Amino acid sequence: MAHSSLTTSAPAAPPPPPRPDPTWRRRTATETRRSAVTLLAVPALVWYLLFLAGPLIAMFVISGLRWPGMLAHRSWAGWANYTTVLHDPLFWTAARNSAVQLAVVLPVLIVASFMVGYYLTLRPRGHRLLRVVLFTPALISASAKAMLAYGVLAPNGLLNGVLDSTGLHALTRSWLADEHTALGCIMAMDLWSGIGFTAVLFAARLGSIPREIYEAAELDGAGHWRRMWRIAYPVAKDYVGVTTMLQFLWIFFSSAQNVLLLTQGGPGNATTNLSFLVYNKAFVQSDLGYSQAAGVLLFAIGLLGMLVIRRVLRQTY
Amino acid sequence: MVWLYALVLVLPLYYLLISSFKTTTSIFDSPLAPPAHPEWHYFGDALRYARLDLALVNSVLVTVVALVLTLLLAVPASFALARGQGRAARVLERVFSLGFLVPTFAALVPTFLMAAFTGLFHTRTFVMLLLPAGAMPLSVVVLTQFMRTIPAELEESARVDGAGTLTVLRRIFIPLCMPGIATILLLNFLNFWNEYLYSLVIIGPDTSQRTIQVALPTLQSNQATEYGVLMAGTALTLVPVYIVYVLLQRRMEEALISGAIKM
Repeated sequence: MAHSSLTTSAPAAPPPPPRPDPTWRRRTATETRRSAVTLLAVPALVWYLLFLAGPLIAMFVISGLRWPGMLAHRSWAGWANYTTVLHDPLFWTAARNSAVQLAVVLPVLIVASFMVGYYLTLRPRGHRLLRVVLFTPALISASAKAMLAYGVLAPNGLLNGVLDSTGLHALTRSWLADEHTALGCIMAMDLWSGIGFTAVLFAARLGSIPREIYEAAELDGAGHWRRMWRIAYPVAKDYVGVTTMLQFLWIFFSSAQNVLLLTQGGPGNATTNLSFLVYNKAFVQSDLGYSQAAGVLLFAIGLLGMLVIRRVLRQTY
Repeated sequence: MVWLYALVLVLPLYYLLISSFKTTTSIFDSPLAPPAHPEWHYFGDALRYARLDLALVNSVLVTVVALVLTLLLAVPASFALARGQGRAARVLERVFSLGFLVPTFAALVPTFLMAAFTGLFHTRTFVMLLLPAGAMPLSVVVLTQFMRTIPAELEESARVDGAGTLTVLRRIFIPLCMPGIATILLLNFLNFWNEYLYSLVIIGPDTSQRTIQVALPTLQSNQATEYGVLMAGTALTLVPVYIVYVLLQRRMEEALISGAIKM
């Protein structure tokens, strides 16, 4: 503080006397050109602010409104929506389902993908084919994935058919309509489509580790398990952090569409998670204030989760 | 273990493909057997039941217009960020990369309201305008990094020859950035083609406007779901993506990998 006041109170240096400087005119011309060039970013910025930043801010505003339906009268509600949301048992059911979903899917997904990614870098037989197969879920849309899942999990679908023909008839059930298995189906879908692509991502990062390091470790008697977690993991830790964050966001926010397509939150509320709750309150029950209050909470938890993941999985060497 | 997972990945796709040719009873009775008597009519049925033909055209239209718009916005912006060295350019770059932290889902309801209040509700036009915005952070960051690698001397010598800013952009930067442009085109093609939730709430059920991702699930909600029709319809939506993937496999994999780690 004292330091800065010292420098500001010092007498300003007198402006340099104007000299005939041949570069002077060119300098300003370049500078004007540079600021003119910056103007080229304006259309993109306008788009970005209008369709991305604007709606995000609007979410906070709407969360403070009493707005029961598109055409209904709007009035200021203050914190009332938040109180309603936090006292609603459904919100806590949804929070619990989201927590279960994240707690199961995220660790399994990351650990499994890392191991598959490591396996890919060893270039086993058929690794090219394997890459293509692992890649496929990344190409398929949410609705096509959901139709596939429906084909597999429906009462007369593939899974029950296979169980029947292998004599495990007792295990068959209508997977998506059973409250004990419905959330499991949603999680299985996250894993089905997530592991492959994440593994390819890890393989891309782990491929840069020189083979000599692995060979040296092998001479010291380190097996694949130790090489994977003592060499590959520390090197790629930062990357694991970024990927975990990506998947966290994906599972936390985008699973609304899987739930919508497969179970509509049911049976009962067994598969209603937070992002589906935000969707459902707005578009099915037309309670826009409630929906956006829950949306703000979702957003806040999302940011918090990202910060935590970043802290836990940052590079430490 | 890995190959078991690979099998789990492939099995539903195999099931999808063979079921597109089988009657409902034969799907139930022997789910994994290849079709004994291939039925071709399910593809036609799927097209007719859900008007997938119209939806296909709409999807192509939305994807192409949104891609062109994305390039028109992102290329000049990246040029500005890569070449403008003032504080403004740095702040702008920060602003764009902050977009990575905003999950698009968060803005769903307000965006829906915006569509409703601008009178572009239930049209694909709004989705065409909207999709490029979501693509901006990634596209701008990827392209800016590409444009930074172009030596300033190239620009200076063109300037000496009297080239204006737009000529520099068109003659030097765009040709040299083609790999970057290809990357964002591929990434955004996938994202735009596969987009579901926004298209669903904004475009709604109108068969003349809705995209194929919105049309497809309507085959399922029909009570008397015919599996063959559903599976054939799903297969149809995958065709364009797989054509592009087969043609540009290497490039697409690289694009997706580099896109995912730009956070």
